[in-house]
Amino acid sequence: MAAAAIEAVELRKTYVTTRGVFRRERVERAALKGTNLSIGRGELFGLLGPNGAGKTTMVKIFTTLLLPTSGLAGILGHDVVKDASAIRRRIGFVFGGERGLYWRLSGLDNLRYFADLYRIPPEVSRRRIPELLERLGLLGRERDKVEHYSRGMKQRLHLARGLLNDPEVLFLDEPTIGLDPVGARELRSIVRELADAGKTIFLTTHYMFEADAICDRIAVINHGEVLAEGTPSSIKRIVENQGVVEFEVAAIPADRLAALRALPGVSSVAVADHELAQVVTVHCARPTEVMTQLGVLLEGIPLQKVSSREPTLEDAYVQLIGESA
Amino acid sequence: MSRVAAEAAVFARSTYLQYVALFQWASVRGYLAYKVLLPVTQIVFFVELGVYATGRQNALYFALGNAMQITANAGIFGVIATVANERQYGTLPLLLASPANRLVTFLSRAVVNVIDGISSVVVGLVVVTLLFGLDLRQANLPLLGLCVVVISISTAGLGLMFGSIGLVMRDAIILANVVYYVLLIVCGINFPVSRLPGALQIVSYSLPLTRGVQAARDAAAGASLAHVGGLLAGELAIGLVWAIGGYALFRALEGYARRGGLQEAY
Amino acid sequence: MRSLARACVSAFRVSTRMRVVSPWAYLNWLVFPLLFASVGLFVLSRPGAASSHVAYGILGGGLIGYWSVAYLDGGNGIQDERWSGTLEQIFAVPTPLWVILLGKILGSLLFGILSFLPTVAFAYIGFHAALPHLDPLRFVVSMGVLTFSFLAISLTLTPLFALWRSAFTMLNGFELGVYILCGFMFPIALLAPWAQGLAGVLAPTWGARALYGSTMAATPQDLAAWWLASIGLSCVYLVGAYFAYRLVGKRARISGDLALA
Repeated sequence: MAAAAIEAVELRKTYVTTRGVFRRERVERAALKGTNLSIGRGELFGLLGPNGAGKTTMVKIFTTLLLPTSGLAGILGHDVVKDASAIRRRIGFVFGGERGLYWRLSGLDNLRYFADLYRIPPEVSRRRIPELLERLGLLGRERDKVEHYSRGMKQRLHLARGLLNDPEVLFLDEPTIGLDPVGARELRSIVRELADAGKTIFLTTHYMFEADAICDRIAVINHGEVLAEGTPSSIKRIVENQGVVEFEVAAIPADRLAALRALPGVSSVAVADHELAQVVTVHCARPTEVMTQLGVLLEGIPLQKVSSREPTLEDAYVQLIGESA
Repeated sequence: MSRVAAEAAVFARSTYLQYVALFQWASVRGYLAYKVLLPVTQIVFFVELGVYATGRQNALYFALGNAMQITANAGIFGVIATVANERQYGTLPLLLASPANRLVTFLSRAVVNVIDGISSVVVGLVVVTLLFGLDLRQANLPLLGLCVVVISISTAGLGLMFGSIGLVMRDAIILANVVYYVLLIVCGINFPVSRLPGALQIVSYSLPLTRGVQAARDAAAGASLAHVGGLLAGELAIGLVWAIGGYALFRALEGYARRGGLQEAY
Repeated sequence: MRSLARACVSAFRVSTRMRVVSPWAYLNWLVFPLLFASVGLFVLSRPGAASSHVAYGILGGGLIGYWSVAYLDGGNGIQDERWSGTLEQIFAVPTPLWVILLGKILGSLLFGILSFLPTVAFAYIGFHAALPHLDPLRFVVSMGVLTFSFLAISLTLTPLFALWRSAFTMLNGFELGVYILCGFMFPIALLAPWAQGLAGVLAPTWGARALYGSTMAATPQDLAAWWLASIGLSCVYLVGAYFAYRLVGKRARISGDLALA
């Protein structure tokens, strides 16, 4: 465990809730089903998955906010269950969003308060806070109340708060969600800089291109299980021998869809509903063959914009998620 | 279905929904805390205070006064709470934009609170009578019951006024809290109105409760309806004035809101 | 140690700053105490009233305000972090939760003790009522003992309110019951023996008793015993609080509901 910055061994988390008022029913929901991960120091690791996949649960376990039901989780050699206080000093976390800051206080007051709660010596925080404000583009607005900040500014303030104790490991849970493209890009470049400076960063996202753009390694999770893990290139190889055929139809009947799926070499077919048409994406081993079959299979149905292309990381992700659904 | 029957159906359904959907203490514990414990402890507190100050022989004076004041709890808080809750759940604009008969909607709120108020008083009085061994043998109990009903109605009228204010004032429930306790001071609940400065006495008689409490005390001493009829009529009249004022304010504010004046209120 | 003290002071400062702008805070330390003081003074300060009655009229409103702020504001220390969405953040800092809450509760108590200002002033201006006798030293010590009891109770209530919402509801419903049992506006000697027994396990009861004792012509002999009783009970509550905090921490980490309002 000493070498890894973040480690999970057969990590499980099951939530137990009760349903109903008079006859209380016990409902169990498995959020993590035996996850194994190992992240080295200085890595920028991305965890990808759709909503409800278990990403936030995993982050909360790593940040000591949640106890696992079974298995082990360790940060910098400390167990999350037994050594929570040792971990808390050395990590930072950013959950982002609208909550997590004191709206009626200024950005500066928020940072000063959390600096004290992180037990940072005053001489250190006096120097570090202005540095963080400048680095995150908040200088000049630090005395304004947080309730007057834009979404992007709040996110940057969250990040400043997460960096107050100069953490060795930083957890970012969907950091760019709700940001405009420019703001998101700025945040991603800051995150990359932090990783280049030696911090270990664990990032969760459901944007594939984000993970592809900045992460050293990624894992794809769904329904509490890690489906694939590796560098972006190695994940792309899942769909390496695959091509993608895409076309648009007004509406594809169920029987034709089933026939398409049954074609030899077709590994998955995804249908996306757009305003005026459906876009059908076919992952297959031999795209040319599939294209020639389309005319026969979908006889009588007008096809538009038929194309074939190389698979992207997003296709790999969609295939992995689609298979696990 | 005839027009009247249709309105009656709306009224009944609306009343039921007000009660179920919008009361904050929608649980057994909440009911116990706010509808039993709070009223009872209020009565006990002021009875003990009164006994300490003036002797045990006056326990009934304080018990009756505070028991009647408890009805104002349902009357004032009930209406304001439903308005505040509608704002919180975001249904207030929907209500104002709906074609619902305003009077029916308005009155349905009050009915629930009147019933609530009566039940609170009954619980409070029963507990306190047992706790302090109060002697009600001389009391004209049916008349006392009538006083309770009249006070419930008149304080609901006051509540309707505050409910309308609650449409525009975000923290109207704070105002309701204050008014509730101000009633303790000015309505002759724990000491005669005559002890108040002159100007304040005018306020006392402009509010519900003052005459009703007096009538209740007389009823407890064995008075007849003829004796307290004037007081009860005055009590109802005051309640009606507040209710009418509340309804007028409600319609005026609604018009103002429609003309775009109250967007921040939501 | 210094860093913990700094965190506590910071929590005190931040919570005080946010309390000053909240309308509810003024309701609890200013408006309600004045309303209760008014009723108390009208009832207790009739012409010819005994000096002990007058003392209850003068100090009762302040005590009620002080207690209200302590349990409503102080007791909701964890809940209001939850409502403002910052509970996860403060839960996962290296500073123990109880240190942060201590700072917040001290802020509440400071605010609460201010209740005495308007109520005593009102008694003097409105009713020409002043404390006929006062032993300043014993009064200050008694106030300190009472403050310690409120601190202990707030520190105990905070995790309880976080664990069980119904605890807050029930205490809210029983608010006037506390005024009765703790003898804020009249002595508990009036109550039935069973009620007096119940009152005896409440630390503020002894603190309030000592406070009023220090305003009597002849200072009661048992004042020191009352101080000790209050302090002793407060310490018992603190032991309970310790276990309650551990339970909160554990429960929160198992259920993960720090983020839920």
